[in-house]
Amino acid sequence: MVRVAILRFPGTWSERDFEHALSLVGADTEILWHTEVDLSGFDAAIVPGGFSYGDHVRAGAIARLSPATTELKRFAADGGPVLGSCNGFQILCEAGLLPGALIRNSGLEYISDWVRIRCEDAGTPFTEGLKDAVLRMPIGHGEGCFVADPATLERIEKEGLVLFRYVDGRGIVTGDANPNGSVNNIAGLRNEAGNVVGLMPHPERCAEPILGGTDGLRMLESLVRAVGTMPALVR
Amino acid sequence: MRFVATIHVRPKAEVRDPQGEAILGALGSLGLGVVAVRTGKEIVVTFEADDDAAARTAADVMGRELLANPVIEDFRVELATA
Repeated sequence: MVRVAILRFPGTWSERDFEHALSLVGADTEILWHTEVDLSGFDAAIVPGGFSYGDHVRAGAIARLSPATTELKRFAADGGPVLGSCNGFQILCEAGLLPGALIRNSGLEYISDWVRIRCEDAGTPFTEGLKDAVLRMPIGHGEGCFVADPATLERIEKEGLVLFRYVDGRGIVTGDANPNGSVNNIAGLRNEAGNVVGLMPHPERCAEPILGGTDGLRMLESLVRAVGTMPALVR
Repeated sequence: MRFVATIHVRPKAEVRDPQGEAILGALGSLGLGVVAVRTGKEIVVTFEADDDAAARTAADVMGRELLANPVIEDFRVELATA
C-alpha cells in the first residue's frame, strides 16, 4: 500500500481533506505534526493548504524555518514525491524547493471560486497521463499571484517547469481566466527533477462528485500509480 | 550589549505592489498630483549581541532568513544601541 505523509503546521486546515481524498485512491495516510516529522518509510509527502502561522511575515515564510521543512528538503533531495497545494505551494516556494514567490492577488481580495487549469507536463508523479488535460478545481487564497524575476521566469519557461496554467473553458490561456494576476497565468510548478510539485488550486477539494468535481482525484490516482512503478526510494 | 534593529522591507522595483496600486488609486482621488506609491513594512527587533559588527551580521541574517524574501523583496537595516 502507498504510504503518504501529510504535514500539519499550526494553522494548516486542509490535512483532513487530503486524508479523506487519499483514502479514496487506496492510499494509507498519516498526519504528522510539524515538529515530529520523520519521512522515513513514506512514499510521498503532502503539504496542505491553510494559513500556517497565520500567514504572518509572508504566507509560508515561518513554516520554512520549521524542522518539518528541513526533513521535507531531505526527502525531496532523495527523489521523494512532494505535493504542495495553496499554502503548501507558498511554503515550497519560501523554502526554495520551487522557484519564484506568491504575493497578494492583483485584485487585493481573497478569492474563493472554481478555476480551470491546463496541465503542461506529464513527467511528474502527480500528473501521469494528464498532459494537456484541463482540470476544474477550486481555489481559496489571498496570496496566489505568482511572480518571479525576469531571469528566473525565463528559466522556468525554458526548462518547462510550468506545470499548470489558468485557462478558459476551451483550454486557452486568457487574461480573464487568470484569477489573481499570476505572471503568464502560472497556477502550478514542478522542480527540475519533477518530484516536487506545487499549485494554488485544491485537488483534495474536488475528489468526489458531491463536492462538485472529481478532477483532483486524477492527480492522486496518478501518485498511487507512479509510486507503484517507482524504484524504492533510498532513505 | 543590547541593540535595536529597524528592518525595512520593500517589494523589489520590478515586483508588482498591489497594495501600493490600491493606495495610488485612493490618493489619486484627493487630487494631490500623486503618480506612484510603493508600500513596505518595518520590523523593529531588540536583541543582544557582543558588538556593532556582530549586531549588524545578526540583523542581516534576520532579514535574509525570514523577514524578507530575496526573490521578491529588498531590505535595509538601521541599527542603534538600546
